[in-house]
Amino acid sequence: MSDILSKLSDCIEFGKINLASPFPPQMKEQEGADELTAKALAQGINPQDVLTQGLMPGMERVGVKFRENKVFVPQVLMSAKAMGTAMLHLKPHFLSGAAKQKGTFIIGTVLGDLHDIGKNLVAMMVEGSGYKVIDLGTDVDAAKFIAALRENPGAVVGLSALLTTTMVNMEKITQEIKQALPDTLVTIGGAPVNNDFCNKIGADNYSSDPQGVVEFLNTKVA
Amino acid sequence: MNGLERIEKVFRMEEVDRIPWVPFVGVHGGKLVGVDAEEYLKSADRVVDGISKAVELYQPDGIPVVFDLQIEAEILGCKLVWSKENPPAVVSHPLADGVELSSLSLPEKSDGRFPIVLEATRELREKYPDVALYGLITGPFTLALHLLGTEIFMKLFEDPDYVNELMDFCTQVGIKHSEMLLDAGCDVIAVVDPMTSQIDPMSFETFVSPYVSQIFDFVRAKKKYSSFFVCGHAQQNIEVMFDCRPDNISIDENIPLDYVKEIALKKGISFGGNLKLTSVLLLGNELDSKKEAVDCLDLGGTKGFILAPGCDLPMDTPIANLQAVSEQVHNEYARQVTREMEHVSSLEPLNLEGHWVEGKVIVDIITLDSASCAPCQYMVEAVRKAASGFAGNVEVNEHKIKDVDGIRMMMALGVQNVPTTCINGKAEFISQIPRKSEIVKAIKNVMGR
Ligand code: B12
Repeated sequence: MSDILSKLSDCIEFGKINLASPFPPQMKEQEGADELTAKALAQGINPQDVLTQGLMPGMERVGVKFRENKVFVPQVLMSAKAMGTAMLHLKPHFLSGAAKQKGTFIIGTVLGDLHDIGKNLVAMMVEGSGYKVIDLGTDVDAAKFIAALRENPGAVVGLSALLTTTMVNMEKITQEIKQALPDTLVTIGGAPVNNDFCNKIGADNYSSDPQGVVEFLNTKVA
Repeated sequence: MNGLERIEKVFRMEEVDRIPWVPFVGVHGGKLVGVDAEEYLKSADRVVDGISKAVELYQPDGIPVVFDLQIEAEILGCKLVWSKENPPAVVSHPLADGVELSSLSLPEKSDGRFPIVLEATRELREKYPDVALYGLITGPFTLALHLLGTEIFMKLFEDPDYVNELMDFCTQVGIKHSEMLLDAGCDVIAVVDPMTSQIDPMSFETFVSPYVSQIFDFVRAKKKYSSFFVCGHAQQNIEVMFDCRPDNISIDENIPLDYVKEIALKKGISFGGNLKLTSVLLLGNELDSKKEAVDCLDLGGTKGFILAPGCDLPMDTPIANLQAVSEQVHNEYARQVTREMEHVSSLEPLNLEGHWVEGKVIVDIITLDSASCAPCQYMVEAVRKAASGFAGNVEVNEHKIKDVDGIRMMMALGVQNVPTTCINGKAEFISQIPRKSEIVKAIKNVMGR
């Protein structure tokens, strides 16, 4: 793998956004995800390779460290921010069809629930793994999910709920989606949710962390 | 020893007669008086009624006055969305919307819902001098998140000076709020900082420890006690939290109690927790709640431990489940019974065919073991005496739940409490020792039928 792509992976893993960014201290005054992505593209490296060999391995390494409690929300958010900066350079290439995404993932926090930290992490990790992500935000009802699905046939839906009181809405939304578009895969998550609940409401997958959703998508979609 | 004394002793790591218990009643108080969360949290009278009801039903040693981590944020300009069965949620973050930190000022007693909380505190103080009243404040990191939004996580790395300034402000708010609560009559200040569960120990030590420690020092200088509530999965930070020197740390269900106990005893600081809120107290039944309580009590032990739920009780937590917990706290026999019931789910009820005899009254007494349980012994003696007057027409059987068959009999008769006396299969005397005349009357009643 080219040197620049492995440097880019490190930037994503450690949340190094750009040259000016003071974080992480050990990478101070080095180029960040921003500069390196631009450089890689300028050198003529295929945008697809920048994504799959540069950004994605970095994101996967943070995902694993997060799962193992080696890093926490702030570090992952820095990685995600670095990823987001890099993606700004890649987006035009994806739109022009020069690079291909693995599939589409629609995510939202369910009706009545405003927690979005976990959902955002999932969205960023999934995006960082090469999927197109449509984030519907928080407090999302079934109609919005279904409308987004109609616009993006075959997309997988992710529902997040953090409150025991909104788990009921998760159940309703899952059922309405399955009724309207029976072939849709629904994956769920959030602190109070578990596998039993997933089976009970007829969702297709439960993951306790973003890495899990990525693994699920990779087996079902990619 | 009253509840307040008991809790103070635990905070000082002294011996107590039994483990104290502090149900974290928040909007659950609204359920107790039949109003929704919004109406409850906006009225001192409702809070006083709700907490009074909770004191009566759950016989706690201590109780929070109000459990709402949005009170300070609301005063400082965060918009709230109210809901019927949860505390309100912060939905806007002034510092992210262009408000300058330097333009925020420390809140006053008369601001926002402070008057409601302080009024409720004064009334409850008057009414319950023996119950430890916990005054809750929003921990500085959680308040900082309310004011700035999730941007704060990135600011830890990108603009640490700003975070320090913000944490300092939030700490001053916390100290001022603590002072109001103590002056109104609270015995304990609980600093509730759930957001800290999301950061690593190094960030915690850098951005949280120097600030929360100031609040604990302030409370200590006032000769009162402090507790640090975790509310969330914060196992990674337990050690550094103890190093902030609160008088107590109360942990949530996802952190193992024995893990915290070990650190607590090593550091000489009391600890509390960690009844499972959702899977047991909210969704489980009475027996589940009893087992959970006994597990926590046995694990926590009699030194420096306070039994409490992991965080604030969901509104709809069944009253019976919390009463079941309270019973375990107050009654040694109830705990023994619960321990015996450990295997109940794997057992079948006894088949009662052939147990009844035509023309005879059958009295079944379910006991722990009349030889070792005083109330059981009195009940068995009282029933045997009463029955002796009926010659051979009344048969008395004791079923000890220390035997498997005793438990199976208990299940067959549908008995929930020990000791219980059933006459011809119907529970007549539950956990109470009736007078001989009452037993005789009950037997005659059945004979007359
Ligand atoms: C941050 C927070 C808030 C913030 C939210 C800020 C924001 N922008 O999100 C604020 C302060 C606004 C808030 C408000 C409330 N909160 Co709150 N909050 C928390 C807190 C501290 C952390 C939650 C969090 O972000 N965790 C970090 C993320 C990374 O974890 P996560 O969300 O679980 O996500 C991970 C996985 O679950 C999974 N995942 C998540 N979503 C999905 C989706 C899919 C598809 C998949 C596969 C996986 C997945 O991947 C993520 C990464 O690993 C928790 C307590 C705690 N310490 O955990 C309480 C907590 C969730 N809140 C609670 C409550 C009660 C509330 C309020 C009702 C009242 C209050 N203020 O306390 C309001 C409700 C608002 C509403 N209507 O939604 C309770 C919920 C109790 C319950 N089980 O019902 C908790 C548990 C606190 C407690 N113990 O009482 N809260």
